[in-house]
Amino acid sequence: MNPDLDLTLERLIRAPRTVVWQAWTDPALLAKWWVPAPTVCRVDRLDVRPGGGFVTSMSDDGVEFAPHLDASFLVVDDLERIVFTNAIDSAWRPASPAPVPMTAEITLSDHPDGTDYRILVRHGDPAARARHADLGFADGWGSVTKQLAGVAESLADR
Amino acid sequence: MAQYSAELDGVLIALADPTRRGVIRRLGRGPTTVGELAREFPMTLPSFMKHVRTLETNGLISTVKSGRVRTCTLSRDRLALVDDWLAEQRRIWTERTDRLERLVTYPTENRP
Repeated sequence: MNPDLDLTLERLIRAPRTVVWQAWTDPALLAKWWVPAPTVCRVDRLDVRPGGGFVTSMSDDGVEFAPHLDASFLVVDDLERIVFTNAIDSAWRPASPAPVPMTAEITLSDHPDGTDYRILVRHGDPAARARHADLGFADGWGSVTKQLAGVAESLADR
Repeated sequence: MAQYSAELDGVLIALADPTRRGVIRRLGRGPTTVGELAREFPMTLPSFMKHVRTLETNGLISTVKSGRVRTCTLSRDRLALVDDWLAEQRRIWTERTDRLERLVTYPTENRP
């Protein structure tokens, strides 16, 4: 947990853990709370297992939909924990979502009055990304490749 | 929210270029004339002016012309928009949890 980049949230939800889990894993139920009304949410993929896709779209008129989230589940512990990231899209392709990539960890545990619901969202560092770009990432790779070529050629010459 | 998002988009677009980030960094040390700035970047003046205009249009810098000299100043409050992304993410997750809580706490009202 890095307080400059991450956020945590804890809530006592007065409903059984199975019900909260169902609201997370049933596409029809997830669509009801995932994005704020009046925006309409469409759950395109909700394959709740490690490596499964998590794709949602949103729409103002319910006709034209725009991408909302394209992510992969990393960890799924039945009724206990869901971890997903948008740094890897649902096709497992590395992604650069705006404003920064994140990994969200949702933990459910029993509480005498319902469910102890905890969220930890770990974010990438936007400054680091800008710095990365500043340092000329492409140039960096270019010189590494040149060095590699140099080594390979000197070996080949022997 | 839409307004905030459009402004943030503008700032991020303005920052999504190494020359423009270089200008921001340079102006972080204090106001500078366009002529001085342009000398530090290997491109023609018209190309450089395009970057200056993009930064100005998106509110990241302001420019003042005095005689034949135009001076650029960094607008620091605008850069703060970028820093506010974490507060924005917190708001999104909090409101999302509010909605989840309502749905599962009053299931008969909200469920199909």
